[in-house]
Amino acid sequence: MTDSNIQSAQEAELACLIVKTLNLEVEAVEIDPQAPLYGEGLGLDSIDMLEIALAVSQQFGVKLRADDKNNIQIFSSLRSLNTYIQQNRGA
Amino acid sequence: MTDKSLVQEWTIRSERGALPLIKLGVWIALRIGRRAARIFLYPTCLYFLLSSKRAARNSREYLARVLDRPPSPADVFRHYLTFASCVLDRVFLLNEQIDRFDIRVHGDDVVREIMERGGGCILFGAHFGSFEVTRAVGRQQGHVPISLVMYEENARKIRMALAAINPQLEAEVIGLGRPESLITVAERLDRGHFVGLLPDRNVSGEDRVPYPFLGAPARFPRGPFRMAMLLRKPVVMMVGVYRGGRCYEIFFEPLIDPSEAVAADMDASIEQAMRRYVAQLENYCCAAPFNWFNFYDFWA
Repeated sequence: MTDSNIQSAQEAELACLIVKTLNLEVEAVEIDPQAPLYGEGLGLDSIDMLEIALAVSQQFGVKLRADDKNNIQIFSSLRSLNTYIQQNRGA
Repeated sequence: MTDKSLVQEWTIRSERGALPLIKLGVWIALRIGRRAARIFLYPTCLYFLLSSKRAARNSREYLARVLDRPPSPADVFRHYLTFASCVLDRVFLLNEQIDRFDIRVHGDDVVREIMERGGGCILFGAHFGSFEVTRAVGRQQGHVPISLVMYEENARKIRMALAAINPQLEAEVIGLGRPESLITVAERLDRGHFVGLLPDRNVSGEDRVPYPFLGAPARFPRGPFRMAMLLRKPVVMMVGVYRGGRCYEIFFEPLIDPSEAVAADMDASIEQAMRRYVAQLENYCCAAPFNWFNFYDFWA
């Protein structure tokens, strides 16, 4: 994991998916990969998170699970969500 | 009292201090039984009636709309007493003492059909009458579990009360305070569970849409309807009306059929579902006016 606030290619792809799914007013490239998605930061609520989870499952075949012990970490930023998706992709 | 519900005031200010009090109240109620415990409702209602002017004013405003005449002090007292009766009865319902009650169910074929398909179902209730009575009937009939989704703050209080009455039911409360809260809802629905919400109340929140309700526009939260559309599960409106004495009447009515809701026009489907929900809620209010338990300014 890097400290950079520049999106990687995969992060950019995920940012696009999030913006498109939720019809957000921000540009995908403007999402800080290290800023929180939920609550403050991007200001998403739990319905938005559900919508993201459904889209991620459709696009990447990765299921986000409610009982995952690392959920706080996984949902903490675009970067950590992307890391989780990449780790579980095709698994 | 602030713009919050009476329930919140009722469940006592300091949460840490509340648990022993709730436990004591529950212990007394279960020990002396429903009939004796009901006697205490009268002074309790009188106390709350006199101690919170704002809740009483909101009650009067609602009653004036629904009764279509200026409400008398007796009407307001009856409103409080109906609420207090339902709160007390929850103790006995959660304690599996359902045989104390005379419960009639209408429209249960709607849910039975969904249950047989095994696909899960979303129940939309309201802060109206008793949701608990349905859950109790469900448990008695060996029904699939009915989880309840609520704001985290309320979830904490309810869990605390449950810890004192029936700790096994704590898992059935889903708080909204976490990013994965609704993923929990989705997973439970996929296991065939029923999940209940009360989408009439949204004290805060930006995503609210005004609908005509008892003669004036009132704002209703759009979130629960959006969630239901995303999950593509049947939504049934469920109301447990308290009829006085030991009588309850439960009504089920289909609200959203996911096969009818068109994905391409989600906004229109949400709008239609909200309109139907508000219209049905209004009907229930007119049929059983004192069962309305939103003691804040609903039309604010």
